[in-house]
Amino acid sequence: MTEHIADSTSPDEVLSRIGHMTRALHESLRGLGLDKLIEKAASDIPDARDRLDYVVRLSEQSAKRVLDATDAANPLQDGIDERSAELSRSWRALLADAGNGGDAAWRELAERTVASLAESRNAAIATKSHLMDIMMAQDFQDLTGQVISRITGIAQNLEKQLVQVLVDFAPSEIKRELDNGLLNGPQINPEGNSDVVADQGQVDDLLDSLGF
Amino acid sequence: MADPKMRFLVVDDFSTMRRIVKNLLKELGYGNVDEAEDGVQALAKLRSEQFDFVVSDWNMPNMDGLTMLQNIRADPALAKLPVLMVTAEAKKENIIAAAQAGANGYVVKPFTAATLDEKLNKIFEKMEKAA
Repeated sequence: MTEHIADSTSPDEVLSRIGHMTRALHESLRGLGLDKLIEKAASDIPDARDRLDYVVRLSEQSAKRVLDATDAANPLQDGIDERSAELSRSWRALLADAGNGGDAAWRELAERTVASLAESRNAAIATKSHLMDIMMAQDFQDLTGQVISRITGIAQNLEKQLVQVLVDFAPSEIKRELDNGLLNGPQINPEGNSDVVADQGQVDDLLDSLGF
Repeated sequence: MADPKMRFLVVDDFSTMRRIVKNLLKELGYGNVDEAEDGVQALAKLRSEQFDFVVSDWNMPNMDGLTMLQNIRADPALAKLPVLMVTAEAKKENIIAAAQAGANGYVVKPFTAATLDEKLNKIFEKMEKAA
């Protein structure tokens, strides 16, 4: 069979047949609406990528805020620890100087103050350890960030391939249709997009202009 | 504990992780820490300033941690600098490649303060023995 074809067909005929097959594939791609599907998939990817970038950006900002706060709180705890230690030393010295003398009520208050200062020191040290845990927990941002940037890379690659399929097979009138739905989630790129608001001021202005 | 004046270079492309490592080192008593965000920047700093220890990520743009480590080992002025890898790359082949390139230690992210402390001390002990 193969030999028969090879014998009886010229290279021109082979090319012509491949041409027909390509044409048929092209037609069925359109007939089945596959070109639209591919087009949609390809045009959705940049949007998905932007959304992932948004996640990276927001989690980084958030992690930074937490680190700023733990950095600010740490020296405050050190201060409490140091001042409590110093006050405690002074009280103990005073108590030792007084020996068995001194007012009983004064002695009792002094003892309670020393005990309370010791508790403050312990609490400051425990708080520092919690602050350390809070700080360490921010490492998620590095790890999730790496995972997301890998997915972004995969998506970019996929998009390139889909666009190539479109360029090779789809009709020339491809246009990216705008998504006009109402459930778009947080706006990740308000700048340069005239149909979204960038801040609360713009929301208020819009409502004002509508008479609300 | 080693000399608290020891100068560290923390190399990571994520600023969050640089801050975490920097704070941990401070907590462990090493307050003299500088940062670089990739291998290229790190090598430039290592060649122009004096450092005693490098803590580096692996996966970074421009130049990754392994390439940086290979560059350090190939540079006679830096060859003996201790390098601790702190990375999310957790495949055995990664760890082997880092060891072959001359890493002094390898910590997989996420890690704890205790792990970092332990690996640092291990490296210091080995350095003392070698000295």
